[in-house]
Amino acid sequence: MAYKPNLQRTWWLQHRFFRAYMLREATVLPLVFLLCSLLAGVYSLTSADAFIAWQGFMAKPWVIVIHTLALLASFYHALTFFQLFPRVMPIRLGDKSVPAVVMIAAQWSGTLTVIALFLWLFGGGL
Amino acid sequence: MQQFEVLVVGGGGAGLRAAIAAAETAPEGRIALLSKVYPMRSHTVAAEGGAAAVTRADDSYAAHFADTVAGGDWLAEQGVVDYFVKQAYQELVQMEHWGCPWSRQANGDVQVRRFGGMKTERTWFAADKTGFHMLHTLFQTSLKHSNIQRFDEFFVVDLLVNDGEINGVLALEISTGELHAIQAKTVIMATGGAGRVFRFNTNGGIVTGDGMAMAYRHGVALRDMEFVQYHPTGLPGSGILITEASRGEGGVLVNKDGYRYLQDYGLGPETPLGKPENKYMELGPRDKLSQAFWQEQQRGRTGNYNGSDVVYLDLRHLGKDYLYERLPFICDLAKSYVNIDPVTQLIPIRPAVHYTMGGIETNAQTATSIRGLYAVGECASVGLHGANRLGSNSLTELLVFGRLAGEEAMRHARTSAPEMDQTKSAQTLRQWQQKLQTLTASKASGVTWVQLKRELVQTMEDGCGIYRTESGLQASLAKVRQLKQQYQQVQVGDTSRAYNTDLLQCLELEFCLDVAEAIVLASLERRESRGAHQRLDEGMTARNDQDFLRHSQVFFQSQADATLTWQAVDTSLSTPGERAYGAQGQQSEAR
Amino acid sequence: MHKEIQIKRYLPEEHAEPFWQTFRVPYDETTSVLGALNYIKEELDSTVSFRWSCRMAICGSCGYMVNGIPKLGCKDFVRNYPAALRIEPLAHFTVERDLMVAMDEFLQHLEAVKPYLIAEPSEPHKPHRQTPAQLAKYKQFANCINCGLCYAACPQFGLNPEFVGPGAIALAHRYNLDSRDQGKAKRMPVLNTHDGVWSCTFVGFCSDVCPKGVDPAAAVNQGKVESAKSMLIQMFRGGA
Repeated sequence: MAYKPNLQRTWWLQHRFFRAYMLREATVLPLVFLLCSLLAGVYSLTSADAFIAWQGFMAKPWVIVIHTLALLASFYHALTFFQLFPRVMPIRLGDKSVPAVVMIAAQWSGTLTVIALFLWLFGGGL
Repeated sequence: MQQFEVLVVGGGGAGLRAAIAAAETAPEGRIALLSKVYPMRSHTVAAEGGAAAVTRADDSYAAHFADTVAGGDWLAEQGVVDYFVKQAYQELVQMEHWGCPWSRQANGDVQVRRFGGMKTERTWFAADKTGFHMLHTLFQTSLKHSNIQRFDEFFVVDLLVNDGEINGVLALEISTGELHAIQAKTVIMATGGAGRVFRFNTNGGIVTGDGMAMAYRHGVALRDMEFVQYHPTGLPGSGILITEASRGEGGVLVNKDGYRYLQDYGLGPETPLGKPENKYMELGPRDKLSQAFWQEQQRGRTGNYNGSDVVYLDLRHLGKDYLYERLPFICDLAKSYVNIDPVTQLIPIRPAVHYTMGGIETNAQTATSIRGLYAVGECASVGLHGANRLGSNSLTELLVFGRLAGEEAMRHARTSAPEMDQTKSAQTLRQWQQKLQTLTASKASGVTWVQLKRELVQTMEDGCGIYRTESGLQASLAKVRQLKQQYQQVQVGDTSRAYNTDLLQCLELEFCLDVAEAIVLASLERRESRGAHQRLDEGMTARNDQDFLRHSQVFFQSQADATLTWQAVDTSLSTPGERAYGAQGQQSEAR
Repeated sequence: MHKEIQIKRYLPEEHAEPFWQTFRVPYDETTSVLGALNYIKEELDSTVSFRWSCRMAICGSCGYMVNGIPKLGCKDFVRNYPAALRIEPLAHFTVERDLMVAMDEFLQHLEAVKPYLIAEPSEPHKPHRQTPAQLAKYKQFANCINCGLCYAACPQFGLNPEFVGPGAIALAHRYNLDSRDQGKAKRMPVLNTHDGVWSCTFVGFCSDVCPKGVDPAAAVNQGKVESAKSMLIQMFRGGA
């Protein structure tokens, strides 16, 4: 005689930790939208009309809102990813393991460098 | 149920080592391993400091032998000690080959540390969780052997004995409450100590002397039971163990005035901070250190922590990095249980019952007086520790004698064909079924094990502590016998069958009561002071080889008081000498 | 000081369904959850059943859910809970009585990963050499006390009981990382399957609840890297 409670569909609402995890997983949703938008842009390059229509679509306020969300989501995802990375790929130099903080800092500085590079290359107008 | 060739009772270090040895001796042999808890819960898991073996070039078997025999105040069986010191290294190497994560030197060799009463650094360790790592290594290694059939959470309640020969065991399957008579040609008891007989101890709740009591009830002697080791450094309140390795690594003990009081008790002169010296001061043996605490307490020089008298362990000078590398568990325990950070604060500590030197009497090959019954580890008295055990000898003991017991039992099983008396087994089974039914017949209204247990541990603490007196022991003995009477009326509140932990604790108390009677009786009859057994009565405060260079043997008598006899000690290799530490020890060695 | 403690009881011989029972327990700064349970058993209701032994967080017996989080009863303190405590058996395991769960469900997974050193016999009378750096590579994963808290924390194990799970994978990884071991090829087939490392979505809660700082999530995800490598190697070997 024994019992085993089934995991309910709402298990992830149980506490903060699971909610944060689901948020991390949910970052994929606005990113999928962004990806589809970009693909549509590439596809629209075949004709001028289509490209102008696409530009119009990209300028719609709700699209901008979702893309802003996608930006925030990607930052949040990067944050969680960078934190997990040192645990999945620990690096040892000689006898000492490289502290997680150093690895996280290195990843962020890499990200910032790339952003700065892009701003410098394409952001002249900004 | 099938018949086994070797049946091991207890899944701790000794039991697992024995089972593996039996399995290696006969790869197709039928081996059973019964344990009242999952093996990795066994109390070996809590051993911290390390395991001793002669390792360094400047060390020798003779030195380890001399330390052990003198540490045991010449009550050790010298032939046994001689065998032990010679087998120790190979057993630790075997553990290494099975994957035990021993701490290492920079060049990859195994690291050894200082330990109390040991002349040379010879204690192998895995940080400060040596027992944990050894137990898990052994448990995981045992999984390789498909011929070891495990019965986890089977609580053995009795031995099946027929005409002086073992026939198997009677076990209660905890998850169902069902009793099973399990037949075996040989049985190895590896059930651990009995520290829970005392109120204030370092032991887990399961350390209740079950195996000792079972063998004892069938006529095997419990030997040297008066020698109960107080570990000098337990946490106040809980009794949680703070390893001796913390002193081996350089920790020092101070009283409430910050004074290193051990120098007043024959362990000095004071060694400089951060320069511990073997067999001086904090690296004296456990009995001497615990006795020194008691003396300080009498002089009013102990501090107070939540109502407990305490002295302090100072580790601060070792520095954070070293502490976290060598003593991470201690840092964690101090933080969790007394909210102290050893890097910056003193840890309050006091002695707590830690180990029973005595146990089921065996010969040098771990065999008992019942044919086919073996005993090993803390439940056994093979004669290694004498009147006081040196720290780090017992983890090695589990291996050396665990292997020996496994091999001996398997050999015996293969060369003998014991008369299996089914009727007698069935009869024992029926008696126990009757007994358990009576215990759980109705929701308790009368005496409960809780009350009796409280009175037992209190009287053991009062009458049978670090220092003992005739009147105190008399009172305790009378009390224990009275409690045994009262136990006859005990009732268990839980009437169910599955997982009846109330019933288990009630049965454990019965084991405790029998073991307690043996401890007190032997303590009363040993009218001298030796090792961990110290008497305050006139004419008994010193060692008396004339009358007491002998083992005590206590025998169970059903329906009557236990009886005691004396047995000669093997002193064939080293004649009893003066037992001294510190500068005195140095002098007497020079002589 | 007193605290209300609710325990999820299950007495299959008396009631078909589990039920909650409330106790009022005195406590001070040092009272652990286990201490409170023992008080209940000795003073209030001797039928309450739970496992415990060492009471110093090393034997791994006393895992329970306390207010929904897996905890070791001996290392969790009543003082940490300003309101009432709700104690339940470890999640995701079969409950057999009160706080007793079927630990065999964990042991089966542990046995499946061959958690022991697999090596050709070296010199029989000499230890291997292993530098502190080689030891440090796996030491953290060797600290697992098999308490099962990580399984109770893992929703993937809750959804799929065949998932080998964090604790067992951490121990497999511990041996894979050991410089003395040669058994990785024998362990990887178990880890390579869907029920091996690939059931893990790196929720990471297992590592948060681990009382010994083992970080099983790290082990599982390092295991994914190893698994990917081993599967690629197999693919090429198989193709050649």
